[in-house]
Amino acid sequence: MSTPHTLARLLSRIALRDRAAFDSLYDLTSAKLFGVVFRLLRERTDAEDALQDIYVKIWHRADRYSVSEASAMSWMIAIARNHAIDRLRARRRGHGPIDEATEIADAAPSPEANAVAGSERARIDTCLDRLEADRAQAVRGAYLDGRSYQELADRHEVPINTMRTWLRRSLKKLRECLEE
Amino acid sequence: MSDEAELPPRPDDDALASEYVLGVLDADERRQCAERIARDAGFALRVAEWENRLSGLNEGFEEQVPPAGVKAAIDGRLFAPAPGTEPDGLQAIWASLAFWRILSGSTLAALVVLMALIVARPDLPISGPTLVAALAAEDTDARFLALYDGTDRTLRIRRLAGDLPADRDHELWLIAEGADPVSLGLVGTEDAAPRPVSDALRATFAEGVTLAVSLEPKGGSTTGAPTGPVVALGPVTRM
Repeated sequence: MSTPHTLARLLSRIALRDRAAFDSLYDLTSAKLFGVVFRLLRERTDAEDALQDIYVKIWHRADRYSVSEASAMSWMIAIARNHAIDRLRARRRGHGPIDEATEIADAAPSPEANAVAGSERARIDTCLDRLEADRAQAVRGAYLDGRSYQELADRHEVPINTMRTWLRRSLKKLRECLEE
Repeated sequence: MSDEAELPPRPDDDALASEYVLGVLDADERRQCAERIARDAGFALRVAEWENRLSGLNEGFEEQVPPAGVKAAIDGRLFAPAPGTEPDGLQAIWASLAFWRILSGSTLAALVVLMALIVARPDLPISGPTLVAALAAEDTDARFLALYDGTDRTLRIRRLAGDLPADRDHELWLIAEGADPVSLGLVGTEDAAPRPVSDALRATFAEGVTLAVSLEPKGGSTTGAPTGPVVALGPVTRM
């Protein structure tokens, strides 16, 4: 398992165009980032294309990563999620993907992930548990499965504005809880 | 139609940042947010804060090893030379120069003078290779030109464009593939005085290595490695 420090160091070498560092970074992080994009995009070839784009972005943006702001892994996952969600939104409505990833649609953490996650995961889980169950589910569905306001509204059978109000309030509560 | 009461309330920035990070916005809203992140540092900070807040959810993504072909495709996109272009020597330099879209007339003139001074030196026999590197980066306006004279084994570098904060210095680095960056010293603003390249580095200093300039504390990095962002870089090419 790589330490956050290792990843940050690799990113700083990549900013200096070190290809060996890029190879190492890919070896250490590609399974996680592919997990992210495959879960969001639910289609293998699309996820593979997205993963290419994401590492090209990481190569070009490595110099913008600054150690103080976020862990290197969170920074890369944010790039991956944003790219995958942009792709999802660009798909025409009603032209959804073949759902190849239904078997991993469960948002429950694996034991290994739990062991590694430690306090960060525990904190957000505690705070999500304080929300009403369907709202916590909507937050997870948005973050982990890339569901839009419209999809969440359809799924929970509420008007889109109601969903928007729900999530805004939930995120506000979540923030207050995380900052306690 | 024109009843303003029907319009949704203007979202406050923090709520918008949280919605962007959560991923629930539609394509147009996401595009607007991305544009705003690029130009509005305050909003970008809110987004970064939300990314941190929600990062505990990242553990919900299971690892999955991608197919082997993906890395090769990425390398192909990043490192393969463009088909049909085999620039060499001066051609390669001018190709790089063309890429420096914001070179002003005066800096271009300075560049030409510098090239003339260093390259056309009738007093010296051409007995060693002359290497040149044009240093630039897409998202900064810093531009440098470096020339290595193999005859007397000296390196000259000059900043052509871009600002340097008063409390910082630019430091030059030599990066050979697979090795840690080696400092070649600080970069002055005006002069391009020749600096000797140490015996140890001469063997490394060849076509294919990369030169990079990073932003460092006054006096340069104290760790022996770059600590600040890279403001410009470029490959070393033989003239």
